Parts: sequence; structure tokens; C-alpha cells
Amino acid sequence: MLRDLQTQFRVGLLGGDAAPALASIENDVITPAQRFGIYRNNVLGSLAGALAAAFPVIERLVGERFFRAAARSFVQQSPPTVPQLLAYGDGFPAFLEAFPPAQSVRYLGDVGRLEWGRVDSMFAADAPALEPSALTSLPPEALADLLFAAHPATRLIRSAQFPIHTIWQVNQPSNPDPRPVDPGLGAEAVLVTRPGLAVETNPVTPGDAVFVQCLLQQQPLAAAAEAALGAEPDFDLQGALAAHLGRGTFSRVMQASR
Amino acid sequence: MTTPPSTEFVVDPIPASAGIGLRHPHVTDFVTRRPPVGWIEVHSENYLGAGGPRLAALEQIRRDYPLSCHGVGLSLGSWEGLNVDHLARLRALFDRFQPGLVSEHVAWSVQDGTYLNDLLPLPYTEEALTILCRNVEQAQEAFGRRILVENPSSYVSFAESTIPEWEFMAETSRRTGCGLLLDVNNIHVSAHNHRFEPGPYLDAIPLDMVGEVHVAGHFVHEFDDQAILIDDHGAPVADAVWALLREALRRLGSVPVLVEWDTRIPPLDVLLAEAEKAQALIDIASTGRVRGDTGAPVHAS
Amino acid sequence: MATKTLTALTLAAAVGGAAAALGTTGTVSAQDMVKCYGIALAGQNDCANAAGTHSCAGQSTVDFDGGEWKLVPAGSCNEPGSEEPFAGVGGTIPGLEGSDPNA
Repeated sequence: MLRDLQTQFRVGLLGGDAAPALASIENDVITPAQRFGIYRNNVLGSLAGALAAAFPVIERLVGERFFRAAARSFVQQSPPTVPQLLAYGDGFPAFLEAFPPAQSVRYLGDVGRLEWGRVDSMFAADAPALEPSALTSLPPEALADLLFAAHPATRLIRSAQFPIHTIWQVNQPSNPDPRPVDPGLGAEAVLVTRPGLAVETNPVTPGDAVFVQCLLQQQPLAAAAEAALGAEPDFDLQGALAAHLGRGTFSRVMQASR
Repeated sequence: MTTPPSTEFVVDPIPASAGIGLRHPHVTDFVTRRPPVGWIEVHSENYLGAGGPRLAALEQIRRDYPLSCHGVGLSLGSWEGLNVDHLARLRALFDRFQPGLVSEHVAWSVQDGTYLNDLLPLPYTEEALTILCRNVEQAQEAFGRRILVENPSSYVSFAESTIPEWEFMAETSRRTGCGLLLDVNNIHVSAHNHRFEPGPYLDAIPLDMVGEVHVAGHFVHEFDDQAILIDDHGAPVADAVWALLREALRRLGSVPVLVEWDTRIPPLDVLLAEAEKAQALIDIASTGRVRGDTGAPVHAS
Repeated sequence: MATKTLTALTLAAAVGGAAAALGTTGTVSAQDMVKCYGIALAGQNDCANAAGTHSCAGQSTVDFDGGEWKLVPAGSCNEPGSEEPFAGVGGTIPGLEGSDPNA
């Protein structure tokens, strides 16, 4: 029955027992195992290739051969559930973090989250960016309780431990000779935005990371700014707001109903 | 600072001329050069994101070219039926870009909700035919339009198969009213891999149902001393495939012909030269029957 | 910003200053848009068998068998051609050991 055959193929194609699938294949010219292998290699190889396209810096960091092997393990463990490769890979950073052979490099997960944030941002919905006039037209007393709606393409990636922006920037595939980076440099946060159509990747200060995080969680402006000052006494609210207006971090503002 | 969708497209029929598959490395060329091809085809699944530059580029290119949407992930051969969310996303894509043709494959790629990203082979049995036809009908209903289904390249044959592939294709069309997308490279590849002659394949295909033809390059892999052809779309179209195209067009009259190139993608000009070759063969054939855009035949006097 | 208690006035000054620094947000030029079209960033679905048998690097092979791969930290990996793009970073460089079915 077709149901059995398709089940047997799925299992065998993802690295499980292929014997039941092979039993249904005619032995003609070359062996069933050779014929089935063409499909298996294409499934695993094409999906690993899709991950390589989404995680170029991870591939750069670990080398192509390690990457391919790790990617195939991930594919076997977590194959796609939607037929769009542009949406495949969100679980790969967590997989790397738990991947025993990669335990000696603890920052792969967070650098991977940065890369996935860029992919996710690139295919997010279109929306207008917040216009400065939307802020200046408000009475001063309305500002403290103002709520900000993130642009659909905005992603904030905060590492608890690692300088992910520095690692990501230095290890771009286009950089032929990356300088060494000390992973103990300190934690960094990265804001991915898409003003216009270009995905931008910018480091943000600890205070700004808290500021954006609070606003994304629908805390009002005054509370977000105070939390940012708590995290970074020198937090520059005006500078941060100007940067977010320029980068299209937010899409619109709403007055909190009191 | 974004560019929301603005253009309201209407359906442009796909002309009976040579088209090429629009692939990412050529997108900027298409925007800046507007190369002289009659139409373009995209893989639908690559445009199912919510927004961003990929869709914006297609929006711009669509203004200059008739568009065909060729699906690679619907899994028409799945026992478990079709993913209704995926059908809805595709319908929204078609509503926005108004393609002249919509096509998919006689293959499967989804089992138990897992997407395997390959066009996997069906056994040619009455059960599989019934399931395929049920799914084709569901897709046509969801899209509100007729689709074309393409014959696959295959590397295995099943002991339980009872129906020749060409009859399986023809019967799918007869039962569901869907059109056929005849991939002559796939016929060549499968004929070689399963050691049958391509001639009877063409004889068995109901010509009036063929709405589009594909050509592409393939790769020859030696297993010990046995050559197996791999449909990698990574080379110029082989001479034997051009010959098969010529033979197909002799029977079909003029029909839209697409040149596909997906692996080791060359500069656009290489692809355009392949399209010119296809066009020359269409021109020779078009002295015969004249055909409409969706495969419905219009007989010339 | 020395105080943690933000007055309406402080907020208004910061917001006003930020808006003034930006002016109005501009529209995207056609040239910038075309540049954006050139960026891929994700896998692409296609209908080709791109990896079925090719034996070049990065492709799988006919008899790929996950069990043949053994991943180990690179300290013990001295295979020619293994990449160490992150040398000097501090962590051990991951590598690959074992029979390579691609070779």
C-alpha cells in the first residue's frame, strides 16, 4: 500500500532502516541500494545545503566538513515540516548548542541565533517604519505611557555570555583572513532590522538591548527607558531613539489606554 | 520606508515561445537588463515568505514578463493528502501575481507531515493513481483553476507497478481534467535509467492536454560500469534531449518551452542562448498547429 | 541622564531631539532596491536532484552512511585540508575525524 511505502521511504531517506524501502524496489541494472541512495543523498544533501545558505558564518567557524556532518545530523533529527526551505533552520542553533561534538565551542548557538534572526527578518512581512512625526505630533505628557509596535522584520538577539556581533562580523565568508576574536570579550546584543528592503545587523549597547526588549514586550516608553538606565547608567535615550527611527526598528506607536 | 505591494496584476497568458526559469543569481540582471525572453517561471515555494526583497523583486519583474508558477512542494502523490495551509499560501501567491500557468509534479515529498525536499517516485498502481487524482482535484479546487502536472525523473521502479508511466500520466489528465507538463529531459533520464524507449512515451501522451514543455541538462553518473542519468539541471541541454524536444514539438505544434537550470547556475547569457535554441525549434514546429496558452488547442486552418 | 526618574520634560526632549536628528525617513531608491534583490540568505526550493551522486566537497555520496562519521574536537584532527578559520580564538577548534565517504 502507498501509505506503507511512503512511510518506509521517509524512514530510510532520513538515515533509518532502509531495508523495507529497498524491498519494494526492482533490482535492475544497478542495485536497489544504489538507486535508493540517489534519493537519500539528495534529501540529506539538499537540506544540509539549505542550512549552509542560512548559516554561512557557522559554516565558516566550524569548517565545511564539520558543518555538513552536523547539518545532516540535524536534518535526520529535525526534518522540515513545511515545504519552504526559506523557513527551515530555526532549530539549528539550539541543536548545535546540544551537539556533543561541538561542546568545545559554546558560542555557536548564539551566533547561529544571530544568523537565523537575519533570515527570519528577511522574509518577514512588509510594513512602514515609524515616522519621526508620529512622535513629535504627540503632547509631551503622552510620551511616558507610549507603547511601541515592533516592525515585523525586527529581531533582537542577546547573548548572555559571548561577543556574538564581533564573532559574526569578523567571520564573514567574504573576509579572507579573519583576525582572532577572544570569546571572553563579553556579552553582546544585536539588533536586526530591515529598513527598506535591506537586512541590517547592528550591535546595541547593554542599555539599548534592555530598552528594545522592554518595548518589544509592550512596556511603556518611560518604563523601558528607566530599565535601560538601570542596566547602563550612561544610556543615551535620545541617541537610541534616533538610531531606532533610522533603522526602522518600530512600525508605529500606540497610546496606552489607562 | 518599505515598498508594500502596489501593482494589481492581471493574467498574462504564457506565449508559445521559449521561457527560462528565474533563479536568484539572475534576479538583478532581470531587473536591470530586461532580457528578451517570452516568459519566466519560478518555483512557487521560494515566494511564500510574508514579505521582503524576494517578493519585491518578483513584483518588479512580473511587470515585464508573463509568469508561470511551478510548484515543488505540494506533494500531489502523498497518501495522507495535501497540506491545506500550503494550498492557501499558494492560492494567495497566485492571487497576487496572477500566473498564466500553474504546475506541479507527479511525485511526492511529504509523509507524516515531514517535508523531504525531493520529488520522490510513486509506484504506478491503481491505488496511487486514485490518490494522485484525488489530490489534483483538491488542488484545482483550492486554486480555482486548472493545473498542469509534470512527468518526473526517476531512479527507481517498483515491483508493484502495473501501469506504464505514460499511461499513468495520461490517465491522471483524463480523470481530473488537469493539463500535462511534458519534461522531455525527464523522459530521456527515466528512459535511460529504466531502459525503455522514449518514442512510445510520446505516442501515449494526449497531445491536446500538453500545456508546457520543459528541457534541462542532466548529469551522467557511473555506478561501476553502468551509467545512470541524474536530473541535476546543472548543464547545457543534451543533444539527445534537444532531439526529443524536436520530436515532441513535431507532434505538439508550438507550445511554451521552458529551459531550467538549477545547479551550478551559469551567467544569464548562457541560459539565454539555450532559450534561443529552444525558440528555433519552436519556430520550426509552429508551421504546424497553433496552440492556446493553457493547453486548450486552437486548430489553425 | 543621571536620574532614574524620567520626567515628561526629559522624555519630550529626547524624543524631540531624536526626531530632529532624523528629519523624515526617506523612501528607498530604485538602485538600493536592486542591491537588496541580490542577497540570498536562505535555501531555495528547486526541482533538480542537485546532490544525488556528486562526490565533490559539500555533496553527499551514494553510500553516505551517518555511522561512518565521527566528530571530534580538532585537537586530535590532523587531516589535510581540515579548516581552522577560527584559530587563536581560545576555544578548541572542532574538526572531523574518521573515514570520509566523500574522499
